[in-house]
Amino acid sequence: MLIFPETKFDFCGDEYIYAEISTEMRIESNFKSISITNELRKRNIPGMIEVYPSNASYLIRYDPTAISPHHLLDYLQEIDQQKSHRSELHFSSRIIEIPVWYNDKITKNTIERYQHLQPEAGGDDFIHVMRANGFTEADAFIAAHSSPPYFITSLGFKPGTAWGFPLGVPQNKIIQAPKYPSPRSYTPGEALGIGGAFTVVYPTESTGSYQLIGISAVPVYDPGQNLSLFRDSFFLAKPGDLWKYRPITEAEYYNIREEVEKRTYEYKVKAIEFSVEQYDEKGDHYISQLMEGF
Amino acid sequence: MLNILEPGLKTTIQDTGRFGHYHMGVPPSGAADKYSFLLGNTLLGNPPDYAGLEMMLTGPVIEFQKKTVIALTGASAEVKLNGEVIPLWQPIAVSPGDVLMVGKIYDGIFTYLTVSGGLATPEILGSRSACFASGFPGVLGRKLLKGDQLPLNEPLPGVLRQVGKSIPNEIKPVFNRQLDLHLVLGIASERISDEGLTGLLNQEWTIHTQSNRVAYRLYGGRVRYKKEAAPFGSGNSPGNIVDIPYPIGGVIVPNEEELIILLNDGTGGGGFVTTGTVISPDLSVLSQAKPHSVVRFHAVTVEQAFQLRREKEQLIEKVKMTVQQA
Repeated sequence: MLIFPETKFDFCGDEYIYAEISTEMRIESNFKSISITNELRKRNIPGMIEVYPSNASYLIRYDPTAISPHHLLDYLQEIDQQKSHRSELHFSSRIIEIPVWYNDKITKNTIERYQHLQPEAGGDDFIHVMRANGFTEADAFIAAHSSPPYFITSLGFKPGTAWGFPLGVPQNKIIQAPKYPSPRSYTPGEALGIGGAFTVVYPTESTGSYQLIGISAVPVYDPGQNLSLFRDSFFLAKPGDLWKYRPITEAEYYNIREEVEKRTYEYKVKAIEFSVEQYDEKGDHYISQLMEGF
Repeated sequence: MLNILEPGLKTTIQDTGRFGHYHMGVPPSGAADKYSFLLGNTLLGNPPDYAGLEMMLTGPVIEFQKKTVIALTGASAEVKLNGEVIPLWQPIAVSPGDVLMVGKIYDGIFTYLTVSGGLATPEILGSRSACFASGFPGVLGRKLLKGDQLPLNEPLPGVLRQVGKSIPNEIKPVFNRQLDLHLVLGIASERISDEGLTGLLNQEWTIHTQSNRVAYRLYGGRVRYKKEAAPFGSGNSPGNIVDIPYPIGGVIVPNEEELIILLNDGTGGGGFVTTGTVISPDLSVLSQAKPHSVVRFHAVTVEQAFQLRREKEQLIEKVKMTVQQA
């Protein structure tokens, strides 16, 4: 049975309230954060300016001239209580397929230029992460990384950067990677990075400190709204979504890129209802059930 | 139309910010010194969120192609209209063909130009503010360039009657090299030792040259973390926490000898111990502070924070009253 510690609320300056569900990373804390923030967004409370779910916490920005901070705090505490019962924790989300060229030439060209930042990696992030996780064969490593769905816990850093945490994998089997001790000044757009237990797709060219192990053939941020999936939002990710990485070859990568450029590419998407109660009861089996036929 | 003859060092379009997308990694942006910016709009009788120009250190040369009324606020600057020196902090009528030259900006970092009716440049995600990190098109994603033509809305009714009015001195912000910042402690303060917190509050901190609209970096003092294991999933260092959404104004402690204060172009999603939040009125003052200025922190209760905010709001309210009495 799922039990949450008491949420710690803090006023931050004169415009924010921070709520910490747990100090340590627990995926259940993230489920709770997403359930609460989805509910708050739906209620569309006047004076509430930002609703920001994160790994094990959430942040509310409000206008204190439009809403009493103390009334708001009481209100948040009430919703927090209600959402401490696992039967209340459910949300609509999507499974989205991201085709990835692992161990690719594009990110390798970049990494070579930044070898000096982490000499121990020998200029190859893919091999560095593969070996650090006890793999000797690239194919086995790619299969291990791409088999679980990655749960989008939160976004931040740059518009559209979404952190994915693998679901249905025992903790000791989760692929992890150290971060660059000092960040790269350049990362190609759509590069697939791994840092700690989290995998991200860099939405645009940017700085970065995650190890680069591949490149996505499809965009995750589209402010020009060129592809149909971005009609309602510039951002592919939403907290609570599941991303499934599909390994592709170099040739497939360039074929898909062409479709993206012609604006004909259609993402593979499946709408789901995520139930924390089911996850709590059935565990990994529930995840395989959700992924069936995808 | 504003015709940009010379762009200046870094002139951007700003309003009061872009909201509702922070959780998608989109910073709020908006005028760094919000107080001065709001005074500009208030002087003209504009609603607070009308877009204007934020000019950094060396200002632009601009030709007006419309008869309208403007105001300059923020840090002191050498400003000339058709070669004649004009004052800040008061509405000034301009005519087509007039040339505004904003030279060197001193005392602070940013001077603001607001225009009656506001700029009519495109919006994205509900704001006209430029944001460099976003990949937004045109002037929404970059500083102004020579030759840019910025459309203006029609001046608002009655604005000509405001010309010549000015703001009393006690309402104008004062920028100097010694700053007092008020913060509300919290977030992950428990990860800092009592002695470390005393260090944060009792020592002087110096503003680093690598400070900008994203964040200000401070050094010179010392904070000590508690000697305890970092929580699961946070990384291995005692300065790490599980990634949180940083508030704007958050006081981040990446190591024991440095502080980072997040400003309007900052984003959440970071895993360093954060020990409190600077109150919003003080962020306007901090954004105008030059590198090597000295900062002292004062811990306040949240009630005191609201009180300090109200005092600033009342000053703006006062200006609004005099404008409405025209």
